[in-house]
Amino acid sequence: MANKWEVFVMDLGELAEGKQLELTVRTLNDGLQKYTYQRAKVEVSSKLDQFPDSLQVRLGRGQLSPQRYSIRVIETVNRLPERYR
Amino acid sequence: MGKISEAETKLEKISAPRTNREFIDACVKSGDAVRIKQEVDWDNEAGAIVRRCCELGEAAPFMENIKDYPGFSYFGAPLSTYRRMAISLGMDPASTLPQIGAEYLKRTNSEPIEPVVIDKRDAPCKENILLGDDVDLTKLPVPLVHDGDGGRYVGTWHAVITKHPVRGDVNWGMYRQMMWDGRTMSGAVFPFSDLGKALTEYYLPRGEGCPFATAIGLSPLAAMAACAPSPIPEPELTGMLAGEAVRLVKCETNDLEVPADAEIIIEGMILPDYKVEEGPFGEYTGYRTSPRDFRVTFRVDAITYRNNATMTISNMGVPQDEGQLLRSFSLGLELEKLLKSQGIPVTGVYMHPRSTHHMMIVGVKPTYAGIAMQIAQLAFGSKLGPWFHMVMVVDDQTDIFNWDEVYHAFCTRCNPERGIHVFKNTTGTALYPHATPHDRKYSIGSQVLFDCLWPVDWDKTNDVPTLVSFKSVYPKDIQEKVVDNWANYGFRGAKK
Repeated sequence: MANKWEVFVMDLGELAEGKQLELTVRTLNDGLQKYTYQRAKVEVSSKLDQFPDSLQVRLGRGQLSPQRYSIRVIETVNRLPERYR
Repeated sequence: MGKISEAETKLEKISAPRTNREFIDACVKSGDAVRIKQEVDWDNEAGAIVRRCCELGEAAPFMENIKDYPGFSYFGAPLSTYRRMAISLGMDPASTLPQIGAEYLKRTNSEPIEPVVIDKRDAPCKENILLGDDVDLTKLPVPLVHDGDGGRYVGTWHAVITKHPVRGDVNWGMYRQMMWDGRTMSGAVFPFSDLGKALTEYYLPRGEGCPFATAIGLSPLAAMAACAPSPIPEPELTGMLAGEAVRLVKCETNDLEVPADAEIIIEGMILPDYKVEEGPFGEYTGYRTSPRDFRVTFRVDAITYRNNATMTISNMGVPQDEGQLLRSFSLGLELEKLLKSQGIPVTGVYMHPRSTHHMMIVGVKPTYAGIAMQIAQLAFGSKLGPWFHMVMVVDDQTDIFNWDEVYHAFCTRCNPERGIHVFKNTTGTALYPHATPHDRKYSIGSQVLFDCLWPVDWDKTNDVPTLVSFKSVYPKDIQEKVVDNWANYGFRGAKK
């Protein structure tokens, strides 16, 4: 089943297509984990059928952007220093 | 001496709710809270209910059936009305604001009451203990308070408890906390706050983690203490407000002590060298103002909670919520204490909650030149100062609680050239909607004094205008005659 993700950006230009990005995304899948974050390497596309998962975007003050994307999460990135894990 | 004894006797009779549960029961009994039995979704619905209650001045919602979280409940808008504030103090819910204020001043001018530390076995907050791999914030019914918020907010009506590493001062402060993942929270901590100073002066330069504990579902007076900008340590202040010692218990994973009767305790460490994003969030100003940013990050090591724990929710937004109400209340009264301690003949200080605690109204006997400026300098220069940016000074003939009178004084007596004084490059917050993005980022502020006093060098007989009102221009006997005959004249309005 496709996953639903959300990202906060100041400007849609931060979501460059055709290259790998590292973003902080939160899951919108129903359940207890909804709205929890992870750092991930991803690719995004404004073509909604390009990648399996969907991505919606919120702007700086929480406004929902009408622009939708598809997204592929390549891998999660844990930036928390080892000593705190 | 006789008066002091009388006050002390009255303090012994305080019967304020000692826990959040006692408070809810008292509010339900008086009609100031409603029990909601039907299922409520933690995802937006609970927040929307609380917001609507705030905007309508409704009873507080006690939501007993939370989707996905059996056994937990929510209590929203706990102190968003003066009635519930009176109940929290053990007073008649119908008490007036001046009466509540007088009681607050009486209790907080009494002797500090030291907290007591109790055994873990007697602490309700230890009924469930999650440690190690069991620690997971998503096991708690953390709500999405407003649609579009940066996350689910763990802490909206709570206390973040820390201790100064050198002085040993204990601080309970309401620093909002967002759930980033199951073990991580991020929060807004202003640099001028007690915790902000401890972090920037001590922990961050040394690269040391700062132990913290977040207490949720506090007694209402503990929450009041955590919200008050008082110099008295919050555990002692809570005891003074309640008239008895607050019960504390030691944390599981650090040396901090937390309110034993709180519903939920989250323990952990503020990380000195790792930050995650926080916000945006619907704020007490009625806007989402402060930008999403990398902020203070809390790593969670333990969670303890009562059986059938109740999470308290404050939903900040347009007036009025408990942040606005309680902060206005305590900021005004703490400024009154400060001004009186300096011998200034103030007749009262009041912040209207609808100013979102941004405008301080000070009543004073204008006995010497520059008194309004002295008040503003003390107010803005104090620890209270960053929380408001407007001071309006009116004379002792103006009822500071009556906005019509205050507004009239402002519009007629504040000289545009001599009565408005701007203070530049002061301390502000990232939450000020009127601030520039640059000022928000660096907590740079600006403040203003509105001096609505007649100048003391004006001749009181010939230069100072005479107020023209029913009460001020007619002889007493005529006033009484007109009032007594009001209905006879054919008017239906009540006598005044």
